[in-house]
Amino acid sequence: MTSPRHALQQTNRKQTSRSPLAGLGTIVRFILRRDRIRLPVWIAAHGLLVLYIGAALPQLAPDKQDLAGMTTLFSQPVGRMFTGPAFGLDDPTYERFFAAGYAPYLFILASLMSIFLVTRHTRGEEQSGRAELVRAAVTGRHTMLTAALVIVGVANVVSAGLVSALTIGLGYSIMGSILVGSATGLTGMVFAGITAITVQINEFSRSAAGMAGAVLGATFLLRAIGDMVEVGGSGLSWASPLGWATQTAPYVHDRWAPLILSVALAAATIALAFVLQTKRDFGASLMPPRPGKVRGHPRLGHPFGLAARLHRSGFFGWGVGIMALGVVDGLFTQAMLDAGKDMPPELRAVFCSDQLLDGYIGFLGSVVSIFVTAYVVFAMQTLRTEEATGRADAVLATAVSRSGWLGTHLAVVALGATLIMLITGLGTGLAAAGVTADAGLIPDVMFSHLAALPAVLAVLGITAAFFGVAPRFMAIIGWLLVAVCGIVDLFADLLDLPKWFRGLSPLWHLATVPVETFQLTPVVVLVGIAIVAVGVGLAGFHRREINVV
Amino acid sequence: MNESLAISTRGLVKTFGHTRALDGLDLNVEQGEVHGFLGPNGAGKSTTIRVLLGLLRADSGTVNLLGGDPWKDAVALHRRLAYVPGDVELWPNLTGGEAIDLFARLRGGLDQQHRDELCERFDLDPSKKARTYSKGNRQKVALISALASDVELLLLDEPTAGLDPLMESVFQQTIREMKDAGRTVLLSSHILAQVEALADRISIVRQGRIVETGSLSELRHMTRTTIVAETDRPAQHLAELPGVHDLTEEHGTVQFQLDGDRTNDAMQALAALGVQSLVAHPPTLEQLLMRYYGDAPGAKTTEAGTQ
Repeated sequence: MTSPRHALQQTNRKQTSRSPLAGLGTIVRFILRRDRIRLPVWIAAHGLLVLYIGAALPQLAPDKQDLAGMTTLFSQPVGRMFTGPAFGLDDPTYERFFAAGYAPYLFILASLMSIFLVTRHTRGEEQSGRAELVRAAVTGRHTMLTAALVIVGVANVVSAGLVSALTIGLGYSIMGSILVGSATGLTGMVFAGITAITVQINEFSRSAAGMAGAVLGATFLLRAIGDMVEVGGSGLSWASPLGWATQTAPYVHDRWAPLILSVALAAATIALAFVLQTKRDFGASLMPPRPGKVRGHPRLGHPFGLAARLHRSGFFGWGVGIMALGVVDGLFTQAMLDAGKDMPPELRAVFCSDQLLDGYIGFLGSVVSIFVTAYVVFAMQTLRTEEATGRADAVLATAVSRSGWLGTHLAVVALGATLIMLITGLGTGLAAAGVTADAGLIPDVMFSHLAALPAVLAVLGITAAFFGVAPRFMAIIGWLLVAVCGIVDLFADLLDLPKWFRGLSPLWHLATVPVETFQLTPVVVLVGIAIVAVGVGLAGFHRREINVV
Repeated sequence: MNESLAISTRGLVKTFGHTRALDGLDLNVEQGEVHGFLGPNGAGKSTTIRVLLGLLRADSGTVNLLGGDPWKDAVALHRRLAYVPGDVELWPNLTGGEAIDLFARLRGGLDQQHRDELCERFDLDPSKKARTYSKGNRQKVALISALASDVELLLLDEPTAGLDPLMESVFQQTIREMKDAGRTVLLSSHILAQVEALADRISIVRQGRIVETGSLSELRHMTRTTIVAETDRPAQHLAELPGVHDLTEEHGTVQFQLDGDRTNDAMQALAALGVQSLVAHPPTLEQLLMRYYGDAPGAKTTEAGTQ
């Protein structure tokens, strides 16, 4: 009796080991085991966002009148830029308010989840060499990618179900809730497909995730500009997968048709990814590495040149992103003025002025400075990487002094941050002047940016001090400072933050030019703090051991 | 302080938390010699070199490197030396050629012609981005850069761990050229054969301490070769010879251990028996350390040395 069954197993095994999907079940179970914490956290994040908004809305706006007063937050152009086409806000309800202002962030969350999970389980594994062991076992060519997509598919379906269930639980209408959930899951799948392609193109998981992230950013920008044109969106909104999700207009029109586009794009990208995968070698990419320079440029012969080279890509990446943001904000100066008349006091509080134009200009300068502060902390983390990999060892074993090494890095970062502030100020000013036909805005906007620069330098100094004295705490302190700057600048009045907490933000001490008149004292104090802190950092670095902590 | 010493340490102690990576290390390297710095993984070789570079500060003891203190005079001293780490990390987006030039220039300049010649000898394509290099190729980059720099002292920390045998021989050739040019080389390694081929003098480090130091011939008593030979006539009586140990014979094949300084006598006796085949295995470093020092009771091998 046992022999026929045995024979059957044999043929089964033969078939599966030849298939390009051999070992799929094992790998799926393996990923579930590896991500037994990560997956639930990603999925729960969707649910928490829904629950938080669902609970907060009735607190913020106890009755319909309050809600109507808040709708301009999303319905005026800048609001539409950050959220969506603002359907049905002329007759607002909690569910419509949720769909207009917060559901778009569910779509982005699902997209990010897909991007990270797909890169992690495909190119990330391949790059580390672990996948080589897996592929050498009885697994097929497509097993890893399929397994990653199965996992991401499950994660998106569960997230979608959770979003729908929770919104229905909040008492929102059933059809709209199912639609919001479906739009979340399907947008996630679109980016799973896009990432499945970028991991074929790039040899490294970070660049694959970066490329997929850039696509997400571009779709956000398309939708943002498209939705800014008019309420309900325009043609450009339909050029973006994020636009399709918001065009479903949940709780207003309940349209299912846009999601057909999402399904089609997800299917097409996934199919293309499998085709591309058959066309490349294991571990290789579709973009073959090009040969580079045989000799080092003379600039690469001194520590400053090396530091400049190492910070170059970060500078351009952050710089272009920040400037794009600034220019788009600048283009909306006129729309801002037009919408100003019926802006709710909550939003006015963010711009901290009734003189709307000045308030907006000052707001732009400080918002940009927060992003540049983030760039500074990011750039300082490069130094930690240099040390941890041992590359700092190799450089410091040459005739480069400790202070020369750290000092040139700090100079390059400070210079880069200043340049980003200046160029963004100029670009934003030009954009604002263009739409308002008021050339006088150019110096105003530039000055508002420059006036916030001392805060950036102070954060750089403090981060440098920690690098020299207590490098382990550098990243956490740096990012906390960025967060404090952001929270205090955007929400201090809204959240009624205590004064001592506001004082933790270097940005808060500076005059918000041009709303307030420029004050020299805080500038001198902050620059002084920056210089002293850099001194502490250099002295500490001179004294401490390299690459032991 | 002895003028002819390029490196001299006295009683170096370095601890990382509870591990004692260096435990009273005395190391002397003469000017112009190739000094083998031999020890098992985790013995403290890398830690010593990082102290010599002034990247780490010793808890106690004195260091003299090229007449200066590596912690205080780091920059001035680094102009006169080149360092090749055991695990070379390069910037993924710089090419090998750019990295070679960068390190050499940061030291104070490079001999462009010598650099190109070295690239050729080591068979390195300098136009490739470092992210595409294997471990061996990254090591070649650091080696070429060090060899093309005009320096007095080379600090090499297991420099050939990723190189194939062909490159190993190129490496040995270049080190001999360095020696002929009057340079001093500290060559850390855990491969006895490599150090034997190159070093004038050897220091053996174990658990953070130098346990043996001297020229190769002075250390000859430590090397015991394993001989396996097929002979026409029985070879039992060889066991009687001085320097022959653990002799066994089976089906005409004799196997024994032979002290390094007794080779000649034993070989003559063996030849008289009609040798059909002969294999000699040099002792491994581990065998050597085990034989002479055993597993020192109570002392644990520190793992902190190699990072």
